[in-house]
Amino acid sequence: MSTAATDMPGNTRKAGRYVYIAAVVLLCAWVIVPLYFLLINTLSSPEAVNSFPKSFIPEFDLGSLSFFANFAGMLTALKNSIIVAGLTMIMSIAIGAPAGYALSRFDFPGKELFRMLILLTRAFPLPLLALPLAVMFIRTGLDDTAFGLALVHTTLAVPFAVLITFSLFSGIPIELEEAAWTLGCTRLTAFTKVVLPLILPGITASAIFAFVISWNEVFAAAVLTIENRTLTAFLLQNLDTSPLHLKFAGGFILVVPALIFIFAVRKYLFAMWGIANR
Amino acid sequence: MSLKKSILKITAAAVVSATAGAATAEVLFWSTQAKPVEEAQAMREQVLAGAGDVDYQPNDGGPWLTRLNAELQAGSGSIGVLGALHGDFSAMDPADLVDLDGVAMSASDTFNELAKLGTDNMQYIPWMQASYIMAASKKALPYLPEGADIDALTYDQLIEWAGNIKEATGEAKFGFPAGPKGLKHRFFQGYLYPSYTDGVVRTFASDAAVTAWEKMRELWAVTNPASTNFSFLQEQLLNGDAWIAFDHTSRLAGAFNERPDDFVAFPAPAGPTGRGFMPVIAGVAIPRTAPDMEASKAVVAHMLKPETQLATLRATNFFPVVDVELPGDLPPAVQAAGSAVAKMSGSADANPGLLPAGLGALGGEFSQLYTETFERIVLGGQDIRMVLDQHKERLQDIMNESGAPCWAPDAASDGPCPVE
Repeated sequence: MSTAATDMPGNTRKAGRYVYIAAVVLLCAWVIVPLYFLLINTLSSPEAVNSFPKSFIPEFDLGSLSFFANFAGMLTALKNSIIVAGLTMIMSIAIGAPAGYALSRFDFPGKELFRMLILLTRAFPLPLLALPLAVMFIRTGLDDTAFGLALVHTTLAVPFAVLITFSLFSGIPIELEEAAWTLGCTRLTAFTKVVLPLILPGITASAIFAFVISWNEVFAAAVLTIENRTLTAFLLQNLDTSPLHLKFAGGFILVVPALIFIFAVRKYLFAMWGIANR
Repeated sequence: MSLKKSILKITAAAVVSATAGAATAEVLFWSTQAKPVEEAQAMREQVLAGAGDVDYQPNDGGPWLTRLNAELQAGSGSIGVLGALHGDFSAMDPADLVDLDGVAMSASDTFNELAKLGTDNMQYIPWMQASYIMAASKKALPYLPEGADIDALTYDQLIEWAGNIKEATGEAKFGFPAGPKGLKHRFFQGYLYPSYTDGVVRTFASDAAVTAWEKMRELWAVTNPASTNFSFLQEQLLNGDAWIAFDHTSRLAGAFNERPDDFVAFPAPAGPTGRGFMPVIAGVAIPRTAPDMEASKAVVAHMLKPETQLATLRATNFFPVVDVELPGDLPPAVQAAGSAVAKMSGSADANPGLLPAGLGALGGEFSQLYTETFERIVLGGQDIRMVLDQHKERLQDIMNESGAPCWAPDAASDGPCPVE
């Protein structure tokens, strides 16, 4: 009797563990399996890419990758992508974080409307905006510069930066700041000494978001840059019509830098989700 | 505060390093052709090697047109030479293109006339040509209907052939480029309609057209249903999803170049009114905003040189438009496609069509109409007569609005081509 009674919860706990493990495995597979196939096909010869069933062990044929190594302009395009994404990151936080702070700390007329309007910048499709933007950029000399493109990407990223930082600031009680004021801080020093350290991980996360938005954007990049193309504009348009093995290799090349970047800053991402620096 | 300073520093450094490198005296070749990475690479390394400093940039149609329009509107730009299909140019205002008389010439009077875009001067120079052909895996050959000559197939024989394969293997192995980026509309405009109705526009809703669409349904019944995802049939030929395929020569080239011994190329089938087929013409042009007109014209002239044309053939599988002796050591895809096209145009029942001309900006809508007709009749199973009658009015509107006269194989017209 007593053994049965203790077995029951033990079994449920065991079953719960299985479900938990299965869920974890499923989620990991969800992300890893496509990436793994991308890797295998990148390292396969064209014949192997077109054959079925697929082998699970790559044959380390570097033909597809070495094609891209000799592809003129790849490295410049990679450098441009990083510069544009970096600028986008910096500018969207520089503009978005103060806006988020203002939205969470101050009451002003039209605040709700303002929050709505911010989202509206995403309501217009880029192919529609690209023509007038390109005309203006050509006239002002911003055309074909990383800075000009970063401006466009910043407008795409700012709504998210504002909304993410708004919720971050709202999560920090104003009492903390008030306490700092009573202890001799000015508004600015209270912000930099008390609030900023608390939300820095969150800010980093929204910066990563801006980075990814810029990294993935093709249309504006293809229209607004020519000599200084970003990697996505440079490669993505040409990949959809390329043979399968080059599609895989090109996709791999596009994914890897973004993966490395996210891996490098992963602890800040986890921090936003409440798992402290692990 | 130091944070702010360092941000400023990084920004400034990035801006400076980004704007450095620019401002070279290259001619920018802004193209919608030779887009696949391998072709782009060959264009840069082989075709344009002797043309001076040329920056070859292939693009999707959207960014290509948007950038071009932006430069035209701004009144200054960096694009030196445009490379695109006849349809892309005919959608433009001829005034935005520099007259190119005397710079170069193709050997075909028909092409040269098309390149005037309805004006008195050459608006673009025909650059290269291609067509659509059939290809089959050698595995499919044993199933050919009795007495059928692969170089003189009819649509009925094609359907029977694909049916034999379906019966024997249990799988439909005809591949049709009905995917989102597939060129299916060209099959209807240049192959199915001319072969069954001896027209494209006039005969759009004729009784013969009803027969044509009935045949299309029969063909679809033995077509790999995944064809709605196929856009480049070379992939399906290589992986075995398709044993017989119809597509653009350059979209079949990969299969022939990779496994030349496994595939055969042959002419498109014939219907009651002949063996309809259609050329593809790409041209080079110069926008009025080109920064260095002389350098641009030099690049255009370079593209039409016989040796450049041969290099282009190797790079893109598009054939020369000037008279030039083809050497014997061409890639397998070029040899296969070349002989199939020659057989097609040389066949006794050949019924060559022309590219839609004079539609201007409505060219996309025109093609869309044929695609929708296919989707409703063949994929949606709607009544053929009803769909054709409904689309007939839209087609007439397109013709009236653009004022386009009939083109071959339709009989010539005074004024806009009538839909009968």
